[in-house]
Amino acid sequence: MGVISSLGDSPASLHSALCNGQASAYEFHEPKLDGFRGRGSGRIIAFQAETYLKGRNLRPLDRTGQLVVAAAKLALEDSRWPPERLAQHPAGLVLGTMFGSVHTIAQFDRRSLEQGPACASPMDFANTVINAAAGQTAIWHNLRGINSTIASGSASGLAALGYASDLIRYSVQTAVLAGGVDEFCFESFYGFERAGMLHACDVPEPFPVPFQAGRTGFAVGEAAGLLMLEEWTSAEARGARILGEMRGHGSTYSPGEGQEHAVRSIARAMTEALKDASMSPRDVSCISASANGSVRADSDEALAIKSLLNGGGPEVPVTAIKSMIGETLGASGALQAIDLVETLRNGTLPGIRGLEQKDPALPELNFCRKQSPIHGNSGLINSISLDGVACSLLISAPPALA
Amino acid sequence: MSIRPGVVVTGIGMVTSIGAGRREFWNALMAGTCGFGPVQSFDTSQFGVHLGAEIHGFKPEEYVQKLDPHSIGRSSQLAIAAARLALTDGSLDLAEIDPDRAGVCAGTTSGEPHYIERFDDRYVLDELKMVGREFITRYPCHVVPGHTAMELGLSGETMMIPTACAAGNYAIAHASDLLRAGKADIMLAGGADSFSRITYTGFARLGAIAPEVCQPFDRNRKGMVPGEGAAMLLLELKEHAVARGARIYCEVAGYGLSCDAHHMTAAHPQGEGAARAIRMALEQSGFAPEDVDYISAHGTGTSTNDRLETIAVKKTFGQHAYKVPISSIKSMLGHTMGAASAIEAAVCALTITEGRIPPTANWKDQDPECDLDYVPNVARKHNVRIAMNNAYAFGGNNSSVIFAECAA
Repeated sequence: MGVISSLGDSPASLHSALCNGQASAYEFHEPKLDGFRGRGSGRIIAFQAETYLKGRNLRPLDRTGQLVVAAAKLALEDSRWPPERLAQHPAGLVLGTMFGSVHTIAQFDRRSLEQGPACASPMDFANTVINAAAGQTAIWHNLRGINSTIASGSASGLAALGYASDLIRYSVQTAVLAGGVDEFCFESFYGFERAGMLHACDVPEPFPVPFQAGRTGFAVGEAAGLLMLEEWTSAEARGARILGEMRGHGSTYSPGEGQEHAVRSIARAMTEALKDASMSPRDVSCISASANGSVRADSDEALAIKSLLNGGGPEVPVTAIKSMIGETLGASGALQAIDLVETLRNGTLPGIRGLEQKDPALPELNFCRKQSPIHGNSGLINSISLDGVACSLLISAPPALA
Repeated sequence: MSIRPGVVVTGIGMVTSIGAGRREFWNALMAGTCGFGPVQSFDTSQFGVHLGAEIHGFKPEEYVQKLDPHSIGRSSQLAIAAARLALTDGSLDLAEIDPDRAGVCAGTTSGEPHYIERFDDRYVLDELKMVGREFITRYPCHVVPGHTAMELGLSGETMMIPTACAAGNYAIAHASDLLRAGKADIMLAGGADSFSRITYTGFARLGAIAPEVCQPFDRNRKGMVPGEGAAMLLLELKEHAVARGARIYCEVAGYGLSCDAHHMTAAHPQGEGAARAIRMALEQSGFAPEDVDYISAHGTGTSTNDRLETIAVKKTFGQHAYKVPISSIKSMLGHTMGAASAIEAAVCALTITEGRIPPTANWKDQDPECDLDYVPNVARKHNVRIAMNNAYAFGGNNSSVIFAECAA
């Protein structure tokens, strides 16, 4: 596994920061807009691609590309896939992203508008396609297997993990690096702000708290996270260290207006994941929620979790790591997956930072408010887009740990 | 032949610069109609090229019935039109299916580029405060399959695969896997892209746009013509199609996907990745190269693409490369980006049922490096049992999908 995030650049450091309740809030000002300010979280202020990618020309990579190429390097090292092995065994790459780099796209266009099309950069144009980061990463690391980019909004990362799992199950590909990315940039930030989706600036709490009473929206962040998924027998044959098992996933869409449609759709994604894994709700030891502080989506998800558990009890702990890492969009599902693997390995689930006053309109769930031990070996991840896509994924600890 | 569950094509819908819907499109294609003209959707006076393949006279309200057609972008409108045409073509009544087991998988290059282009217009005019909610709710590319599913009331898996100019093939490949895995009963799979200033600017800067005409595989070819369009294929498991008495065009027999890992905008100089995708598609579908009766080429009309695609076909087909007819409909429709391989997949299906193959239009002089049978200028009667659809993209994404006549 490889991760570049505001809370660490290794699965262990990310998990430790999440368990300790760390968070990195910031305020964002745009000089172009007089008086505009907004709140974000999970921005990787100090990211320097050179730290990870020494000795090669970084110029062809935009920020999104740099984040993915760096995360891929860490994941390949962590999973012990050296260049020699990649030359012999083409590995695939499936990258989830909401935007690709909308900043690169916009800058390319604005340069042409302001200085004429003759001044638009052909090198930048290569990065305006939404699959650019996947292509750049393949070039950098010689990933010649199936290369795909998945866009399902902020559920892209989890959708990519499901898609990649199925490539291994139903196609010939035996090893796929899969996960997601989105960078922090002005264009997406401003878009969310104009749509009234972001955590308000005029409330005392600097950070959005999922499921909290009076929440006002999410805080947009950035990250890249990748997991090396391999067919079980070929992983065993090469003596790989197996960290977890992708048990099953589900993906649904809510085409109707109204909360009941959304709740049903999320519950159905979870049910489909359980069915795909041949598991029952009783087998789930913890839930990593998609909740990010959004007024409506947090409520939809809480009701869906309640309906899945069929009112049978509040015992399954529910956490929401976006309370610390922010809404990292296309990366979010991948970060949840990486942290769930660490959770299952360590037996400690991070809590929901700052959750003191649960929204009274939400059902009673076992909200995990501070890091807690978990019992059992399987966890469920939800990832829900802002507009109807719901994905769920089940991960188990490998049998040796279970 | 494959022993895997059969996935079949039972409906086809498209909106292109030469016609909408199966019949109109196919007749125009067989007649060698070209959809090129001077770009009208934005000012190209500062460009050195002006040719585009835009769709004129498209009326979204004829297709977009449940959603407000003006509340969604043009790519969504085109995708919905293609989806409705495919459902009608496939005689599928949505009231008779389980919407939870029906989904949409689409490919694209740019999604809904007009929203970021309007954002940029406002940025340079210092009018950013006029940006409203519509930018973030209508721009991200996944809204295209989302709007299609919303319009049709489908609640199965909805996914966008933005693998640029090969995206339609990727979407069809994934949708067929989903059906084989038993996760859906029907899928609408295809691609959509609307005419984009950003895309046009980029290809113009790469010197890849033809000044007057698109001539794939011709010795004097001068480039591609950016276009727009959408196509959707109605896919279902064969047993599902047979049970409802559907007309079956063909089977999605197998696919191959690979990555060059070589260069962002230029294909591998020996066609290595493209050849691997072709081999994988043949292997997955259980066919030998000699079994293939027709190849729908990526055939953009750029010097490099057509030469390298020819190399990849020769590398994988050996002597049969000289016998199998290959054509590029981009010679007529231009390059419809993420829609291109979806439209070309529809063409593969139609060659199987119609027994005719479309020409490569505007072909005049043979290029010594492109010396295969490109079906120059005139459509041809040809019995097609097995057709292969090639598509390649920025990022080194290669794809080949094989369609096969479906035994009763």
